[in-house]
This record gives sequence, C-alpha cells and structure tokens, in this order.
Amino acid sequence: MAAALLLPLAAIHAVEISKSLVRIEATSQDPDYKTPWNPGNVISGVGAGFVVDGKRIMTNAHVVSNARFLTVSKEGDANPYVAKVLHIAHDCDLALLAVENPAFFKGTVPVEFGGVPQMESSVSAYGYPVGGTRLSVTRGIVSRIDFQPYSHSGMDSHLAIQIDAAINPGNSGGPVMQNGKVVGVAFQGYSGDVAQNVGYMIPTPVIHRFLKDVEDGHYDHYVDLALTYRNLFNPAARRALGLEDGNTGVQVGSVYSGGASAGIVQPGDVILKIDGHTVSSDGSIELEDQAVPLEEVVERKFKGDKVRLDILREGQPMALTVTLREPWPFKLQSNLYDEKPRFFVAGGLVFQPVDQNFMDAHDPSDQRLNYLFDYFIADGLHTKRPEIVVLSNILPDSVNAYADEFRYSVVDEVNGRPVKRLDELAAAFGEASDFYVIKFAGGGRPIVLERKAIEEARPRISARYALKAEKNLEK
Amino acid sequence: MKSILFLRSLCLAFLMALAVPSAFAGDTAPGAAPKFLLRVNSTNQLYEFSKPWIKKPPFSKRGIGALIDGGRILVTAELVANSTFIELEKPATVEKSTATVERVDYDCNLAVLRPADPDFLQGMQPLALNGPLQVGDEATILQLEPNGDIARTLGRITTISVSGYPSESGALLLFKLSAPLQQRDGSFTVPVVREGRLIGMVMRYDVRNQSADIVPTAVIRHFLAELDSPAYQGFARLGLAFAPLRDPQLRRYIGLQEPGGIYVSDITPRGSADAAGIKKGDAILAVDGLPLDQDGNYEDPDYGRILFSHFTNTIKHPGAIVRLKILRDGKTLEIPLSMQVANRENAISETQISDTAPKYLILGGLVFIELSRPYLKEWGNKWTSGAPQRLVYFDAFQNELPPDRGRMIILSHVLPTPDTLGYEDLENIVVTKVNGHAVKSLADLSEAAKNPVDGFQKIEFEEDPKLLFLDAASIEANAEELKRHYALPALERL
Repeated sequence: MAAALLLPLAAIHAVEISKSLVRIEATSQDPDYKTPWNPGNVISGVGAGFVVDGKRIMTNAHVVSNARFLTVSKEGDANPYVAKVLHIAHDCDLALLAVENPAFFKGTVPVEFGGVPQMESSVSAYGYPVGGTRLSVTRGIVSRIDFQPYSHSGMDSHLAIQIDAAINPGNSGGPVMQNGKVVGVAFQGYSGDVAQNVGYMIPTPVIHRFLKDVEDGHYDHYVDLALTYRNLFNPAARRALGLEDGNTGVQVGSVYSGGASAGIVQPGDVILKIDGHTVSSDGSIELEDQAVPLEEVVERKFKGDKVRLDILREGQPMALTVTLREPWPFKLQSNLYDEKPRFFVAGGLVFQPVDQNFMDAHDPSDQRLNYLFDYFIADGLHTKRPEIVVLSNILPDSVNAYADEFRYSVVDEVNGRPVKRLDELAAAFGEASDFYVIKFAGGGRPIVLERKAIEEARPRISARYALKAEKNLEK
Repeated sequence: MKSILFLRSLCLAFLMALAVPSAFAGDTAPGAAPKFLLRVNSTNQLYEFSKPWIKKPPFSKRGIGALIDGGRILVTAELVANSTFIELEKPATVEKSTATVERVDYDCNLAVLRPADPDFLQGMQPLALNGPLQVGDEATILQLEPNGDIARTLGRITTISVSGYPSESGALLLFKLSAPLQQRDGSFTVPVVREGRLIGMVMRYDVRNQSADIVPTAVIRHFLAELDSPAYQGFARLGLAFAPLRDPQLRRYIGLQEPGGIYVSDITPRGSADAAGIKKGDAILAVDGLPLDQDGNYEDPDYGRILFSHFTNTIKHPGAIVRLKILRDGKTLEIPLSMQVANRENAISETQISDTAPKYLILGGLVFIELSRPYLKEWGNKWTSGAPQRLVYFDAFQNELPPDRGRMIILSHVLPTPDTLGYEDLENIVVTKVNGHAVKSLADLSEAAKNPVDGFQKIEFEEDPKLLFLDAASIEANAEELKRHYALPALERL
C-alpha cells in the first residue's frame, strides 16, 4: 500500500526534475607525474548535473576535473551539446558549466534549492549510475548530518549529509531532491565492501557558498583559521587555564605559520566564543538550532572576511580578530587538478617538486622524503622551503652513471645556491659553470655533473628517452 | 700479492696438518662423542617496550656452544639475548649445569658462558682457533644428533667481506659458507671447524640460498682479547659514513689525482672521526699507510681486498691511533685518529637495548618513555612504515638533530583515569618541557615533576595538543589506585 502511494509521487518528481537534469560525458586527461613530459592518459566518464540560474549547469568538480572535452545532454533530447567549465572548486567538489549553444537551455528549468533536510526525512537521488544508460532514481532518508572529509581534494572537510539512497559512480553531480527542491548534490560514498548504504551529498550551505564565491567571476577557495584545537574536558586543565567549571572553551594547539591566525592566536589560548557563538568544550557551537563544529562559522565566510574570537590567554579575557585567507601550504597535501606537472631535467636527472599528486604517482619509500612531505605543515617545514624539490627519476646515461642511489633525495642546493623551489633549481642550472654540484638534504656526497658532459648527453638523452621537453616550470 | 698469499696459505694448511694430527683425527672420526661441544638451552624473555613494566612470554633458544680455552663456552650473542636461564648439556651423557654469561657483545654477536659448576667441564677438551681462511676453502659445520653424536656438514667459503651484523650497530668481517645445512634440534648457534680448529660460529642460515653467515675467528679473537684486557671495551667505531668515489666527475671536482679514495658523507657526533676533526666532504685516501680503493677496500694480508673498517675496528683495539691520509680542499693531510667505542650515552634514540629493563614513568596515567628503536620495532616486521612516522624519522636521522638534544621523551599512551579525562587518545608525541623545565631524559622528567607549578603538572609537547595540565595533588593521591587498577608493579623505572 505504502509503495503504491510512493510510486506516483516519485514519478511526479522525476517529471519535474527531468527538465533540469543533465547527463555529462567527460573526456579527461590525467597528468603523468612519472614521465611529466608526456601528456598523460585519456579517460572518459559519465556524470550527472542540473541546470541552475544563469544558464549554468552544476555538477561535481570530480566529474569535470582535467577535462579536455565535455558534452552535455538533457532528458528527451538525444543531441550532445559541447560544454566547458565555467568555475571549478576542488575543495568542495563543485563546478559550474556553460554550454556554447544557447538552444540547449530551451525548455529547461533551473532548479530551486531547499535548506538542510531534517534527519530521517526522505530524499531522492537522480543520476546516471552504472546499470543502464537512462535516468535512475534512488530513494532514501537522511541518516546523518556532520562534517566529513571531501575525498576529491583529500584535504578538506565540510558539512556533508549522509543518505541511505544508493549512490554509485555516475550519480556524481546529480541532484538530491526533497519536495521538488534540490537539497544536495550526490558526490561520494563507500563501496559495498566497506559500508552498506552510505552515500553522501553536498548540502545547500556549501552549494550557496560556492555560488556566492563565484559571483565576482572568480573562485577564491575556502578560507581557514589554520589552527588546531582540542577539547577542554579535563578539570585540572580548565582550572589551570583559568576557566570556571562548566562546558565552554577549547584549547588551541598548533597555529600554523603562514595561516590566517599566525601571530594573532597562540598555542594554549582558550577559545570561548567565535563571532559571538559560545564554544562548547568539545568545540561545537549552536548554529540555526543545530550543534555544529565551530569551523562552520568560518566555512560560510570568504577571503578577506573577519572572524572575532573571544579568548582567554593566561587567564585574561581578550578579543582577537582574524582576517581570513587561504592557507597556502595545505595545497601541497591536496589532490591537485587541472595543473601540468612541473619538472626540470639536467644530465638525465629529473627534478620535480613534491605534492600529493607526485606522491600518489611515485609512492616513494624514502623515509626522509615521507617525513618532509607528511610533516611539511605540522612541523613548520614550509617556512624553510616553500617547495620540496626531489631527484625523482634518472634517465640512465654515462653522464649520471653514479646517481642511482640518489633517487627521491631532496635537493638542498646547486652550486651553493639554496634550492627552495623548482625555479631556483632551474636558475642555478642556467648559470654558466664548469661543474654543477647538487647537494641533498642530509648532506651525503653530492652529485657532480660537468657542463661539458651535460651538453654532450643532452641530444643523446632526448632521443633515447623521447624526452619532449627538458622542463616545465608552469603549473 | 695474491699469488704469494695463496702459497702462504697452502704452507699453513700443510703445517697445520702436520702439527695437529691428533685433534684432526679425533673430530673427523664419524659418530664420536665430541669433547668440545655442549648443548646450550637459553630461556629468554623480552620486555614489552610499549608496556615497559611487562615482560613478554619466555621462549627457548637452543644452540651448540664450543668450549674454548679458559673454560669458556662460546656462543652467539643472539642465543642468550635477554636470557633469564641458561642450561648447558653434555651431548653424550646428558649431564646438565646452569650457566652464566661472562660477557655478551651484541656488536659482534658473541658471548661467552661459564658453567655454575666449574667441575662440569672436566674431561672436556677446548677447541683451538683456526687462522685465516680463503674463499674456496672447505669447512665443516658441526651439529649434534639426538643421541649426542656429531653430525657434520661440509661446506665451502664463498665470500669473505665486511657485512652488517644483526645488531645493526655496524659491519664486521663475515664469512659466507655454502652448505646444505639441515634443521636440527639446537641449531641456533653452531660451530664451524676446519682441520680440528674453530673457524667461526654460524649466526644466520639462508635456507633458499643454502648459505650460512659465520662470525669468523678474526672477530672472535678480537672479542677474546678484549675479554682478557683489564677493561672490556669491545669494538671501536670510526663514527663516519662514506660513499665510494667511483664517479670520475666527482673525482675531478674535488681534485683527486690518486686512483683510490672514499668520500666522507656523514660524521657521527662525538664519535672517533668527529673527535679527530674529520669533516664531511673529506676524501680518505689511506689508513696507516694502506691505500684505499674507490670502494674503501684495502689489501689485507689475510683476507685480500676487504673494507678498511676491518683494519680500524677489528684488527685495532679501542684506544689505538690510526693515521688517516685525507684530501681536503685540494690539500693532502695526515690526521691521527684515536679509535673509540661508540658513545651512546647521550643518544637521542637508543638503537639496541638488550638485557636491560626499559625505562618508563607514569604520571597520573600518562605513560612516558624514552624513544628507542626496540620501541618502534614493537610495530612488527614492517615497523619502518607502520610505526609513528615522525618517531621513525627522528630515530633514523638522529645524527642530524642537535647533538645536545638529549633523549627524546615520548608520551607513549594514556592509561585512562579520572585525572587524564580528555587526554585518552594522546599517543606517541614528543615532550619538550615539564613544569617549564626542558627534559632530556626520563630522570629529568621525574625531577621536574617534583615541582608542580601552582598545583599543576604542566606538560608541553612538540605536537598537538602542545600542552596539557594534570592536578598534581590529585595524581599523587590516586597513585596507589592507579597502580592497583592497571596492575602496575611501579609507576616508574629510571
């Protein structure tokens, strides 16, 4: 009986949404961080999207990342239309597409957005998942509302809503509807062997923030306080820090240099309020009748916005103002898209800056490199070198016959010039010298290349290894 | 040079065959009950480094000891590492005696035992030590049959080189013997003989390659000489790492004219080379007038071309002076270097702890330890990737940290109590200060904890959460309860 009632309802929604729903076919080219002079593999995939105001199509960033060619098609019109990326936000896995042919939008209806749905309320997910080529609808309830890591960037966590409707590859970018309004964008889930019926959607606060951020024609990235904090449950700690009994306040741990709070907030400060919202001792605040982590205040802000922190420092109350910006070093540990791998080759030695993409491709077992990368931010290593430049590969030739042991060694200097970025290494090799002496972190023996030997080897190496370019210094 | 050596060894073998006919005949006679072999059963018990107040279950290792001069029974150090009980057994009569370790040295993987009952060895005959061997020489591995008879396996020396020993503390001379060794009762330590004389002790056997690693007599002789010296020091270390100087571009860059030489790539703080003023980037050309090739080998009169550290670490004893010929900034220098044993007293992370109870201190439920490699090895075979990576890095690259850093003190984990409320998840973070005092040892921590500030124990860390507080009076009052609750024998062992 209940099922009989539900079916027509779903059918009505499907008719409504069919005027907004878009199937996206993406051909992308993933950069090759192992042979960075090569263009990389071409792969294609299918995702979903939907029409929003301003003749734009919203989808997930991961559907259109590294895209070389995009087509969109709508329900009831078999024609593919060529599309392009208008804005892409890898940190919250959202993107907006434009379609060149205005005829595409004839008969389409932009969606309306709803709010954050209630727990246990039912939602329907639309998309083009595996199991067929036509539109698919799955239905479920809101299981959980919480901060979740967004796996597309691997570094960002935002509000996300867990639903038990089946979410599969191809659902990505599709709308999740409730009462005819979009309440989320399906974007990630667990495979069945990890957890059953766990899918996630990007909720409307994140969507609205993205749409607002790009109003000026440019996406600015999320901003962050760039600090860590910890619960203040311990009664001794509360008294030592000058707090009353009760359940307010969190203790600041690390304040990352280079971040927005550096020089303003100190380790050991107690955050009592953020923008006037009282902070509980577990770090949560009350926002729109929901308990959310205090970061949610920052989540809704933009580059240049200010946050007021009421703190206790050595027992004294103080008010601090932090002007928000994007903490740059974190990018190094995020998955990166739409960037070309940078590299520099000299004497068959391939040098690359290290980032998450590099580490994924190479998976080096070098202990020093792994430490430098993993603790780049936490141990403040970024203040000493903005980039980690490594000898990533050796194209064997007589010029580099004794360099094997140095693979994945971190370059410290070339000819006495410190190498803190790849372009500094390129510049050092650009200077005339009889010898190029490459010193590595840890101070073992250097690699010495004679200028003459490099020059003699150049054509040989280029031909033998099909080296299309000797450098790329641009992202 | 090579041919002369060859002739000399032939002569030697010939002479020995003449000189020791009786011993020779005695131990080649099949089945004879051996007069110089003893079964050694050692019960060993390791500490749980992650819960240092606990000992792991005891286990047994069985090996064969060789009786040598002076009533000593020679075995490998690994056999008796962390021993709690050692028993000697005569193979034929199954007479038993308990034994004690006179000296164990993990660097050279050797130990000598003495029976509790001095009369136990009566009627036995010590095994003499053989001289140098050559690659290609035959040698016999001695094992025991269940009935006490000798089981012999003939093998051939395939490699003589300076190689890593199990302690990871360095490399010493090692023989590889190719032999189809069988797994027998008590084959953990097995003597190897040639012509009735001991040539070494098997310390590892590679089943797939049928190859046994042997601690040779050159190393055993050094160990025994140290044992007879007024104060045992063991094996001195150069305290440097080097790289071969094969790359002609590098040789031209440093202006090296001579054919050989090695590049000093690292200096151990406070080691022998450091004290002598050797620097990173120096090229070592010769040691005591012996020229080094591009890989660091010298021509040893006994073993041919082997790594020069055999000369400095094994032939020379601690305190000896060796003269290094150095190329530095294009100039040749002669630098005297006094060979000293490694000084681990101020090491940031101890790499080897055996026969010693690990230190710990528990404050309110926070378990503090000193970083050590045995602690990291509690993460199992893949500890280098499985253990906390920051600590693995500090252990591996401790030479690069400031030499006065002191021991690295770790909050290992938390035994939850009301005093540690909110701290339960903290683990493996590095302590910097306690109550405002820098801590360079657990003793420092213990001392600093005696002076709480305003009634609080204030503990600061390198990592998050950066600092925490405990109620000093409360943890004092709850100390007995904590001990009882978690069955802790003591709250500290310093």
